[in-house]
Amino acid sequence: MDANQSELAVVDRSAESAAQKKARFERDALQFTNQMYAAALRYTKDPHDAQDLVQDTYAKAFVSFHQFEPGTNLKAWLYRILTTTFINTYRKDQRRPQISDGELEDWQIYDASSHTSDQGRSAEDVALDGIVDLDVRAALAAMPEDFRMAVYLADVEGFSYKEIADIVGVPAGTVMSRLHRGRKLLRASLSEYAKERGFNRGGDNA
Amino acid sequence: MHNANALPCDQIQQALYLYIDHELPSEQEYWSFQIHFKECPDCAAVLVYESNALSLMQDLLRGSCNEEAPQDLHERIRQQTEALAGQTQVQFFSSSTTITNFTFDGTTSIQVTQEVTHEIRHDFTEGE
Repeated sequence: MDANQSELAVVDRSAESAAQKKARFERDALQFTNQMYAAALRYTKDPHDAQDLVQDTYAKAFVSFHQFEPGTNLKAWLYRILTTTFINTYRKDQRRPQISDGELEDWQIYDASSHTSDQGRSAEDVALDGIVDLDVRAALAAMPEDFRMAVYLADVEGFSYKEIADIVGVPAGTVMSRLHRGRKLLRASLSEYAKERGFNRGGDNA
Repeated sequence: MHNANALPCDQIQQALYLYIDHELPSEQEYWSFQIHFKECPDCAAVLVYESNALSLMQDLLRGSCNEEAPQDLHERIRQQTEALAGQTQVQFFSSSTTITNFTFDGTTSIQVTQEVTHEIRHDFTEGE
């Protein structure tokens, strides 16, 4: 938050010149390109689609930039465009059901999470040291989309429940249950990867 | 302090992520949780376990989901911004702002009004 930015927050945006708006956009919005690309990879699971999605997002963001309230959360605003664009365009293209083959139904997740949430919590949950980036990406990619988004937005991007609710367009209560169950699901899945790699030594759950 | 065990253990553990995520709805609830953890070693142990497991997972996620966008994408977005900046200038001026200037400087107003007649080609409705 530098001096320029707070100054602009007071300035009437309708009086801002095209060049000023462009400069403000380039300075404030374009810095999120890498971050949004990584998020787009989680959404689309495809590098080409991810690039297109980020580019589309910036086109829409620039054109609607006058609607952005300076001083409010620009990153959350951009992520909302990213997510809406993904849901409306990219996901629609694929015409794929919310829960597809190999993914879990709600009740299965609920069931799986109940194993890890009670006394039976075992050492395998925390023994994830040997896991590699590819495992983490694969585990995340295999999650049902709604859970994946909630976990990604909260645990990688650090958005609050309320911000995620705005970004995804669902009530905060829904975000909460997706996030909590998504985390348990992901944790269980990561420990499977760890086990398969033989890194799981087990036993030190103190 | 008053009635330390106002919250039962299962309720505490159910809402543990809300506590860890700083998403409890009120200060008062934080107090209730903290009091409970002070007096209940089981829940305190679960809190430590869950917090550690969560930060481990967050570290793993952040460490593996940080791909950089290809240079080409940065370049395309820059060019796209240039192109759109030339095209969508008109969107800065709403008809209401033109009117406020009217009494001061008629000529300027007329120029602006002409710009307003341009069609806005790019339409983005915010995620309803």
